[in-house]
Amino acid sequence: MVETAIENVAVAGEAEGLAVRRRRRRLGLGFWLPVAWIGLVVFGALTADLWPLPAPETIDFLKRAALPGTIGEIELAGQTELSEFRYLLGTDNVGRDILSRLVHGARVSLLIGLLSPLIGLLVGGALGVLAGYYRGRVESIVVASMDVILAFPALALLLAIAFYLGPSLPNLIFALGFLSVPASARVARANTLSLARREFVLAAKAMGASDLYILVREIVPNVLMPLLVFAMLLVAVLIVAEGTLSFLGLSVPPPTPSWGAMIEEGRELLDQAPHVTLIPAAAMCLTVLSFNLIGDRLRGLIDPRESRL
Amino acid sequence: MSPMPLLAVEDLETHFRTPRGRVRAVDGVSFTLDRGQTLGIVGESGCGKSVLSRTIMGLLPSNAEVPSASRVRFDGRDLRQMSERELRGVRGRHMAIIFQDPMTSLNPVMTCGAQIVETLTYHMGLGKRAARDRAVELFTAVGIPEPARRVDHYPHQLSGGMRQRVAIAIAISCEPALLIADEPTTALDVTVQAEILDLLKRQQRERRMALILITHDLGVVAGHTDEVAVMYAGRIVERAATTTLFARTRMPYTEALLRSIPRLADPPHTPLQTIAGRPPELIDPPPGCRFAPRCRYAAADCRQLAPALTGDRHAFACWHPLEVAS
Repeated sequence: MVETAIENVAVAGEAEGLAVRRRRRRLGLGFWLPVAWIGLVVFGALTADLWPLPAPETIDFLKRAALPGTIGEIELAGQTELSEFRYLLGTDNVGRDILSRLVHGARVSLLIGLLSPLIGLLVGGALGVLAGYYRGRVESIVVASMDVILAFPALALLLAIAFYLGPSLPNLIFALGFLSVPASARVARANTLSLARREFVLAAKAMGASDLYILVREIVPNVLMPLLVFAMLLVAVLIVAEGTLSFLGLSVPPPTPSWGAMIEEGRELLDQAPHVTLIPAAAMCLTVLSFNLIGDRLRGLIDPRESRL
Repeated sequence: MSPMPLLAVEDLETHFRTPRGRVRAVDGVSFTLDRGQTLGIVGESGCGKSVLSRTIMGLLPSNAEVPSASRVRFDGRDLRQMSERELRGVRGRHMAIIFQDPMTSLNPVMTCGAQIVETLTYHMGLGKRAARDRAVELFTAVGIPEPARRVDHYPHQLSGGMRQRVAIAIAISCEPALLIADEPTTALDVTVQAEILDLLKRQQRERRMALILITHDLGVVAGHTDEVAVMYAGRIVERAATTTLFARTRMPYTEALLRSIPRLADPPHTPLQTIAGRPPELIDPPPGCRFAPRCRYAAADCRQLAPALTGDRHAFACWHPLEVAS
């Protein structure tokens, strides 16, 4: 969608070429630095197994809570003999390489942060658009059921899922996705309500368009942008949520590394080895901040355009 | 002359259910329109012009009701009896409408060309390529400069006048027999207004469309219509050929409308002539002529019984019509 937004602007042609360049520049470092960071995190998560690092579960008993830069002897991934290795970011309280856990943990954070909002967006977005377009009974049912989900204590649901279905990553993704449905539905419905009353929808109807056509071609493309901006904020919220749930033992079960779990495990040593907690906390903080900044910039990009419609 | 008019509206009523009661927005309107003819519908805001056009198109909101006695015969078929599915085949293909505000009547996230192409592929079964070529032709026809480039532009890249031309191009893309223009120039500035009206007139002649031109501006109607119907409070109060209506106005309301047009010959600071009072509530309209409370000629009998629209070529609804020198 970033591309389409820029494309929309780009088709303006030569006459508006300058304006395009100005707009691109207006995105500025505040946009591209977060994008670069997210790119780095995604790259790390994708290639985590290829790095010359010890596996995230490998323990070096001699070097527990070691400071960044400490050298120890450990089995590297794919090798059987011990070799000398410099812990760039140190080790955690049981002697596992923090950098290795960080890149592997990025997978959990990203999977939760991206897949859960996607579920919320697809289900909630569809329900919200239908409710906003058809009004009447459809709307009453959707709004009422969303209110029920919102009123239901989220932690109780997560606890129930963890106890009955087991605390696994897919379960967590679905549970958080389910919980993000109502908010997406509200955003979609609010936008649809105002769009459905716009004249171009009536105009499409006047040209013989069916309800399905109007929903797919007229409403959804217009709802998508605000929904996407909202999703960016949702990503940030859910990455933090994973961290919080780790403290309650509701996140992915150990020893699978996740940023939330790393922060939680480092808590005991906070006075002696603060880096064990602070490094994953910084990674999470930067990622959340990046998603927030990107969402913010995107909103800034579409809002002035919307007002010119 | 063809024996059957293209559009025959008979005793059309449109009611809206509201919490305060039933609003009779259109209250017994009848008229006919032949192919290639232009009918102007004039009236103040809220007199039912737009509701009338939406009723003909079948584009009413869900709280609207049209009594079953109302008939809209289009090309021999009763649109009121058609299913939504049948109507979809007529709308856009055989009858089209242009809305007042071109800022909002185009989809902001679709290129202008795509919006025509979709209509052409849906109604005319054209292929993508052929439809695109046709879109460029239509853009040329409605006077859009650099049509081949403009089809790839988004609505927000065009000016208001250009957007209205795009809206017209979409409306005439399937060669409809009837085109309804609902205040097509109200949102545009005066120089562009004239261009758009001339464009509509030219397209209407070339394609032998019937045109209903809805406006609150008598000046617009004067040069661009064959016949004019003046609406007040949901009813037609005077209907005549355009020249007749202006030369031999019989209905006091039409006269009041004419008098409220500012004239260039007036000295500066001449107060504008207005029609005192407001149009009546349409929830529970008073008995008698609906214009009576604002009419300078009203007598006691005007408030007793509503006058019917009488007359053949020049019809008017008034107990005390204005005298015309013959």
